[in-house]
Amino acid sequence: MDAGTISAILFVLMLGLLASGIWVAPTLLAVGFFALEFFSPAPAGSLLASTVWDASWNWALTALPLFVWMGEILFRTRLSSDMFNGLAPWLARLPGGLLHVNIVGCGVMAAVAGSSAVTCATVGRMSIPELKKRGYDEKLSIGTLAGSGTLGLLIPPSIMLIVYGVIAQQSISRMFIAGVVPGIMIISIFMSYVAIRALLNPELAPPQEERLSFMDKVKASRLLFPVVLLIFCVIGSIYGGFATPTEAATIGVLGALVLAWLSKSLTWASFMDSLMGAVRTSCMIAFILAGAAFLSIAMGFTGVPRVLASYVDAWNLSPGMLLVLLTVLYIFLGCFLDGVSMMVLTAAVVLPMVESAGIDLIWFGIFTVIVVEMAQITPPVGFNLFVLQGMTGRDLIQVTRASMPFFFLMLLGILIISLVPELVTWPVEYMIRKN
Amino acid sequence: MAVRKFLDGLYLWSGYLAALFLVAIALTIVAQIIGRFFGVAIDSTESAGFSLAASTFLGLAYTFRYDGHIRVTLLIRLAKGPMARATELWGVGFCIAAMGYLTYWACDLVYFSYIFGDISPGLLAIPFWIPRSAMALGSLILTIALIDEFIGILRGKTPSYVANSTALFSGEDD
Repeated sequence: MDAGTISAILFVLMLGLLASGIWVAPTLLAVGFFALEFFSPAPAGSLLASTVWDASWNWALTALPLFVWMGEILFRTRLSSDMFNGLAPWLARLPGGLLHVNIVGCGVMAAVAGSSAVTCATVGRMSIPELKKRGYDEKLSIGTLAGSGTLGLLIPPSIMLIVYGVIAQQSISRMFIAGVVPGIMIISIFMSYVAIRALLNPELAPPQEERLSFMDKVKASRLLFPVVLLIFCVIGSIYGGFATPTEAATIGVLGALVLAWLSKSLTWASFMDSLMGAVRTSCMIAFILAGAAFLSIAMGFTGVPRVLASYVDAWNLSPGMLLVLLTVLYIFLGCFLDGVSMMVLTAAVVLPMVESAGIDLIWFGIFTVIVVEMAQITPPVGFNLFVLQGMTGRDLIQVTRASMPFFFLMLLGILIISLVPELVTWPVEYMIRKN
Repeated sequence: MAVRKFLDGLYLWSGYLAALFLVAIALTIVAQIIGRFFGVAIDSTESAGFSLAASTFLGLAYTFRYDGHIRVTLLIRLAKGPMARATELWGVGFCIAAMGYLTYWACDLVYFSYIFGDISPGLLAIPFWIPRSAMALGSLILTIALIDEFIGILRGKTPSYVANSTALFSGEDD
């Protein structure tokens, strides 16, 4: 049987199992088993146990539960309720006013929560009523939340970047460093868009009369600064080469515990809540990654990825064309899969193709994460859209229409990093040369 | 219901054990950082990795009961009444087969690493069967939890992963 047929059978099998409600990790195991049992001479059972084991004690992955835990601790402090009041005094005087709170707030919350739906919901719960009360344009309020909520996938310490680093066997430190500039760039694009819209039509964002003194501003954001500082330290220690991602994550956990204690939100109950929450999230992701490792080994035995990668050469597919095709594929998959699953399911086949097209794997990681972000706000199914629909009481079409400009702004972001790949690769090279 | 109580305790305490191993990752890293500070070489690569594996596998059943594992609910949400029950039985039943298979081979791996005396490659040089038995044990507990769930659904109970779901907006996200 040729590779095309085998991959088609496996693809249909996988979609069928997923659609019928089988959990993602067992689906990966089952498809891998099927591929080995029917399309290769290798022994499925013993390969299954040894691959799953090898994947589950991977050193690079040890940073994941710790970063998740750090987020869970910070999430349970008063940070989320202080977010709006803390940021508002600083951003109110920019054109577009408090709409920027949505964007920057999501950026900070994203670094903490790591999940775009949670980011969107936490910031939105606080800011939507406030923005409404002050007469801000509803479409822009919803759109900024939908778009910026997805930033969590990109801004380090991002769970998605760890997951990508593990499956593509790229250094997690380098992934984090590569994510910084594109993350800042997309925030800037969003903020510029809001500012321009507000300058063109001041009615969208009514001007603010209240003015606070500098000390009052600092007081309003007393919890925000330490958190930003903590994130900065975590990233900085990786960038400076002082710490591995796992060590930085440990420092992050300790720092988060201290912050929670200082802000008087550390109780035994909240500690256990954060820890058990971290167990659930990291267990889910690590199990999926173990399943994906098995699937990827199994696919290797069938020879499918190699053949598909050679198609890229045979069809003379330019890297640009390949990226366009992959963008379409991811946005399609984003209709029914979450980001981690999307990345993991396609890795075994997509990564060899990308590599043989001569695309840098670190750059491709950032590209993928941004595309996955876009998929979260693409109808008919995008997680952020659902969250906002639930919160604003508007129907899906209205929420989608409000989010559309931000979808295109992210597309613009992708275009920029494609034309100037140095935005992603240069900081990484600089770090390597320096250390 | 002594059996019910025992099983619930089993899932919960294996979850707590998973949490303990998660904390253990952080602790071994702290030891490494402090050791480096005083010029003592402590290599946490292995201890952290083994703790991670133990945390993942021992947490499987607990995570399952609390709807932590993800799946696509887009289509199965449409099923109502007996049809909904049938889809849940199919999903849980399929996973019993998959996890049973994994448990069997994980036990096989533990058994042979014990027989052959496999030793971990780093400084710790732990016999490999010890950390690997966490994989066998965790997979076994998840298999038990799945069978438990299967019987529960047959008897008409709401699946625990639906009842305990902490999803942000119930019914709207996966």
